[in-house]
Amino acid sequence: MSLLEVEGLRIEFPSRHGTAVAVKGVSFTLEKGEILGLVGESGAGKSTVGNAVIDLLSPPGVVAGGNIKLDGQAISGLSGEAIRRVRGRRIGFIFQDPMTSLNPLLTIETQMVETIMVNLGLDKAAAYKKSIELLASVGIAEPEVRIRQYPHQFSGGMRQRVVIAIALSGDPELIIADEPTTALDVSIQNQILELIRKLCKERDVGCLLVTHDMGVIANVTDRVAVMYMGDLVELGSTEQILCRPEHPYTQSLISAVPRTDIKLHRFPRVEYIEKEQGRHIDVKNHWLGQKEQLSELNAEISDRALLTVKDVNLRFETQSAFLEKNRRYVQASNQVSFEVRAGETFGLVGESGSGKSTIARIIAGLYPPDSGLIEFAGQDITRLTEKQRKPFRRQIQMVFQNPYSSMNARMTVQDIIAEPIRFHQLAESERQINSIVADLLDHVGLGRGAGVKYPHEFSGGQRQRISIARALATRPRFLICDEPTSALDVSVQAQILNLLKDLQEELGLTMLFISHDLPVILQMCDRIGVMKMGTLVEVGDTDRIFSDPHHEYTRHLINMMPRVENLSRSGLDIEASVAAHS
Amino acid sequence: MLLFLMRRLMQGLIVMFVISIISFSIQDNLGDPLRELVGQSVSEAEREKLRDEMGLNDPFLTQYTRFMGNALQGDLGDSYFFKAPALDVILAKMPATLELVFAASLIIILVSIPAGVYCAIRPNSWFTRLILGFSILGISVPVFLTAIFSIYLFSIELGWLPSYGRGELVPVIGGWESGLFTQDGLLHLILPAISLASIMLPLFIRLIRSEMSEVLHTEYVKFARAKGLKKARIYFLHALKNTMLPVITVGGVQIGTMVAYTILTETVFQWPGMGFLFLEAVNRVDTPLIVAYLIVVGAIFVVVNTLVDLLYGLINPTVRLARSAQ
Amino acid sequence: MKKTMKLFIERPIKRPIKRLAGAILAASLAVGAQAATLKMAYDSDPVSLDPHEQLSGATLQLSHLVFDPLVRWDDNLQFEPRLAEKWQRIDDRTMRFTLRKGVKFHSGNGLTSADVQWTFQRLASSPDFKAVFEPFAAVKVIDDYTFDLVTKEAFPLVLNSATYLFPMDSKFYAGLDSTGQEKSLLKKHGDTYASKNASGTGPFIVTEREQGVRVDFQRFAGYWDKQSPGNVDEIVLTPIKEGPTRVAALLSGDVDFIFPVPPNDHERIKRSGNTDLVTLGGTRIISFQLNQERVPAFKDQRVRQAINYAINNDGIVKKIMKGFATPAGQQGPKGYAGYVDDLQPRYDLKKARQLMKEAGYEDGFAITMMAPNNRYVNDARIAQAVASMLSKINIKVDLKTLPKAQYWPEFDERSADMMMIGWHSDTEDSANFTEYLTACADSISGWGQYNSGNYCNEAVDALVKKAGSETDPTVRAQILQDVERTLYEEAAFVPLHWQNLAWGASKNVAAKDVVNVMNFPYLGDLVIKE
Repeated sequence: MSLLEVEGLRIEFPSRHGTAVAVKGVSFTLEKGEILGLVGESGAGKSTVGNAVIDLLSPPGVVAGGNIKLDGQAISGLSGEAIRRVRGRRIGFIFQDPMTSLNPLLTIETQMVETIMVNLGLDKAAAYKKSIELLASVGIAEPEVRIRQYPHQFSGGMRQRVVIAIALSGDPELIIADEPTTALDVSIQNQILELIRKLCKERDVGCLLVTHDMGVIANVTDRVAVMYMGDLVELGSTEQILCRPEHPYTQSLISAVPRTDIKLHRFPRVEYIEKEQGRHIDVKNHWLGQKEQLSELNAEISDRALLTVKDVNLRFETQSAFLEKNRRYVQASNQVSFEVRAGETFGLVGESGSGKSTIARIIAGLYPPDSGLIEFAGQDITRLTEKQRKPFRRQIQMVFQNPYSSMNARMTVQDIIAEPIRFHQLAESERQINSIVADLLDHVGLGRGAGVKYPHEFSGGQRQRISIARALATRPRFLICDEPTSALDVSVQAQILNLLKDLQEELGLTMLFISHDLPVILQMCDRIGVMKMGTLVEVGDTDRIFSDPHHEYTRHLINMMPRVENLSRSGLDIEASVAAHS
Repeated sequence: MLLFLMRRLMQGLIVMFVISIISFSIQDNLGDPLRELVGQSVSEAEREKLRDEMGLNDPFLTQYTRFMGNALQGDLGDSYFFKAPALDVILAKMPATLELVFAASLIIILVSIPAGVYCAIRPNSWFTRLILGFSILGISVPVFLTAIFSIYLFSIELGWLPSYGRGELVPVIGGWESGLFTQDGLLHLILPAISLASIMLPLFIRLIRSEMSEVLHTEYVKFARAKGLKKARIYFLHALKNTMLPVITVGGVQIGTMVAYTILTETVFQWPGMGFLFLEAVNRVDTPLIVAYLIVVGAIFVVVNTLVDLLYGLINPTVRLARSAQ
Repeated sequence: MKKTMKLFIERPIKRPIKRLAGAILAASLAVGAQAATLKMAYDSDPVSLDPHEQLSGATLQLSHLVFDPLVRWDDNLQFEPRLAEKWQRIDDRTMRFTLRKGVKFHSGNGLTSADVQWTFQRLASSPDFKAVFEPFAAVKVIDDYTFDLVTKEAFPLVLNSATYLFPMDSKFYAGLDSTGQEKSLLKKHGDTYASKNASGTGPFIVTEREQGVRVDFQRFAGYWDKQSPGNVDEIVLTPIKEGPTRVAALLSGDVDFIFPVPPNDHERIKRSGNTDLVTLGGTRIISFQLNQERVPAFKDQRVRQAINYAINNDGIVKKIMKGFATPAGQQGPKGYAGYVDDLQPRYDLKKARQLMKEAGYEDGFAITMMAPNNRYVNDARIAQAVASMLSKINIKVDLKTLPKAQYWPEFDERSADMMMIGWHSDTEDSANFTEYLTACADSISGWGQYNSGNYCNEAVDALVKKAGSETDPTVRAQILQDVERTLYEEAAFVPLHWQNLAWGASKNVAAKDVVNVMNFPYLGDLVIKE
């Protein structure tokens, strides 16, 4: 008898427009002490399976067929009160984003003690004692102090540790971890995965690990189940899935993961899903290339840098006070200097809080630096008035990490993209604007008809395409991409990054590419700068950085990088790689 | 904290300064105070003489400078009608208004929270529809009608509650005479407080309902459920506390607005508070009283907003006051 | 700041009233077993306890409670002796009064002729009352209980004016108050002793007063009029601004006596088993004036007549006033010296059109109209009705209604072609209407001060002037009737109706016996049955 048996699970979302089937008869088992990876892209139904196990489907989702058994006992279809006793007590849950899974207004103590009291029936003092032990066991130093604090006083990784401690606090038999490390930095990600693995093995707890990240799968799982469009397409040992995938979807999914060993010209697509959208642009006859031939312009200044950042400093006040001595600051940018050459892609890499986005904003003129110099095509653009900056705004455009929050939800896509054209008066007539916008939408693969819709009608990847179209609308010379794909699935990521590569090639764009994702950086960039706590610790050609990192921090980052190809080359070698990291 | 309060004080002073300029510059459009001071057969020449005596014929700047000079010493001028310092008159009426606003706020809190939470938890029940239906009705019926209707129902037809005034008062501290501590006073308070509350109640029910529904969809509420917590604890601790954050912000502003709404309620119920006083002052063109009232209400707004921010900071650990003041 | 934080309730002025009241309360308890309390609600409360500060209804109502006049009007608009026991005309310019003996002020001081003289002098300095006493030269004291009222010229309205003479306690108001001001100081806008303290000879003493909230009265144990049937020993006056609330307070039994009653609520009060409605024909004329300087057409008598013919006074009274007004064809109401029975409203649309045609205005013209919207009963609705009636004779009216506070400055500016005005004669005499409303404007005499129509007929002015010195009542009435006839004939203005008065009272309150058309109920005589 397995710990968890899922048999023919079917989950439906009935609505007025018909019933959507999210999960179509999925079956698998999970043993004690085993970590089963449930992998797939967004919409595959993997999270829905995890939620269904503890009856937390968001309405109107219902289990329409099949069985879920925990330790031989059916838990699907239990009453509200009965399933509540299973939650927390027998099945612990870890959510994707530690930033949102803890109640921001309650102390860690409140949130842990209440869980232990309700699940184990302990009194307050005993529950407190157990909380302290749990916090210590998940690696939180000074638990007696930390337990009194609020979630916002913890870093992302620490919060996820707290969430894990809470998930373990009812001494459950099974843990369901839904994308537990997606929101975390690489180095933290490894620690958390290691922690989960260690705890599962020590306590003989089964773990269902839901993720879209092949790197995560490679690092910790024993077996993997691959889901595609509500179906479980392949189930096997981690080694078999990664090295000898049988199903064509699994094969193309694995090949789409950005490689860390060799640099490819283009990102491999997940061919199983779709033919590539968008088309190549004939620049010579196209509006995007009409005004100035960027490649010619670039040739003029090829000996010099297009963008020069020199000794830039910026600090933020984190606590204001009447007296200078009581104020606190964080140095977001510390003597940062680098150059971006015309036509190249310069990568800025670093963990969250390292100051890479701050630099991007300083260049775009959104923050004035405290000191230092920004030069664009030989002109000082460090401190310009709004009017002086206007021509540079046209030439320097940004693509943000979260495209949705940077769009006005009340404007149509047409208006969103036309806005910069109107602002910079790049078109002579409304008709011309319309045709430009339609062209742009076509190029980013959304189709000419997308303009009449509103941003919320698009998926994350599509919105990112909209924001790229908007950035291109001004015929920029320099594009700043701030984590453009970090929230997206591998297949979408491949499409978008390929699109950027195409555009760069054909238009001669110069790019500043910011990411925490080293494989992506490796594939995208010609040169790389590594940032740590506001300081640029190392700059160099991509190949050199990856093959011969000089700075210790760079080495550390590269070591932390999840490697799928390790597996395909050297077989199942998890223990060794975990040992190497710790 | 100190910095925050100092900033607020500065803002408050600026607000009151602006109000004083605005109210001072519109006073010529309010009418002729002399008309309300004299009988019909007083000649124009006589009125002109009085106007001169009272300095009403001086140029705007002269009048305003004189006003500001006195205002800096805490003197906002004398009410024509009450023949006493306008500020004293208003402060004497303030307890009545604040008691009314307090009672109305209490009603709003006691009714809107359970009702809003219920609507959020059971979005499809018939009782939810009833509550929401009533709240639409509440928004569309003017407070004047609500008040008159409740008087006819509860005072005349049923004879349960008194129809006007504050009833029996007992002195509390200083000059504050309160109706909150006598049975008669409380009975008098019921109808005006309900009428005043009825203006804001629908808004709050809807606000709490929508905030709560939103909070119920957050990850931490889902996580709380995944932890195996009981529903009551999820709803009333985890969800409600987060629901109240935006409600407090909006609520603070609305309580300020309610002070302004007392003008209507107090007039209908002959409630001897500032709002009624203000309406009368407008009718009588008692300009010093009008200006003083506007300044005092401006001050109340600033104080309430400051308190709300303090409260917000108290509930929300992620907010530090110094930062919120920026 | 500390000073201004002191609360209004605590103001020291109130204390003397209370102390005085305490002493008298003990005495008044002896009055009788049938003593009763009257709770009443008016739409406003008096501005001041100083009877000379403002000539207004509220002040006069207060004066009849706290003070006593020399003479007062009775039901038939005749004079009833009060503090003056008797009077007698000595010559054209002199009337000799004999004061009642043994009359005490609330302070305990006795009333003498000196108090009358002191009061007269104070009245003459009052901006509001000086116009009423302008014809008088002096009060000549003969002895403690005899004095002469001497006029500058022969003057027929000596007794009318004497109804405004409420003797004040000259000794009580002598000296300085705690702030160093003369206690007798009369000031419109300022804290004076007389505005917060009162000593008169009237039936009631003010024991407690919170302005705008309530005034408490206690019966004066030493009141001279032992014949009075009045048994009210305590009055609580609450101003209730809103009509519906006031009515509700009466119907729910929270108060016993209210004024005014909105026309819409008359039925309700009549129908209720516990309350009575008391109504009297009023004396306040509601009218429109036609500005001849702004509109040349108004200079044509036929056009003015046409307008009078076009307006349905009865319809307005019936539909808008719910029958609670008396349609008017002239200025003064029935009972006034100048009243002529024949001068009735003349509604005849055909005639009106005919007259417009004759005047050459068949196609009409456009005018502007202004009216207040919170001064008279249903003022704005009346103006709307008149405007639509005028459209029937092709006069297009652009109507603007304003709150009274903004209306009066506009009226003073004469800013519209047709303006509404209501008028109550302070002297309860016909001549007063013409002097203020229809006489040729004269800034020196003050005549025509409210004549926004600029109607001017020297003959009418001469008649009114003559009436001003004619002491034979019959001859005088004849003159004033001639004036009304001329005004009617020439359509000098547009009379609409006299606003009636309505009080609501609990069944056990014999309100009917004490109310009057001047609207100062003699509450000293009020009887409340068990």
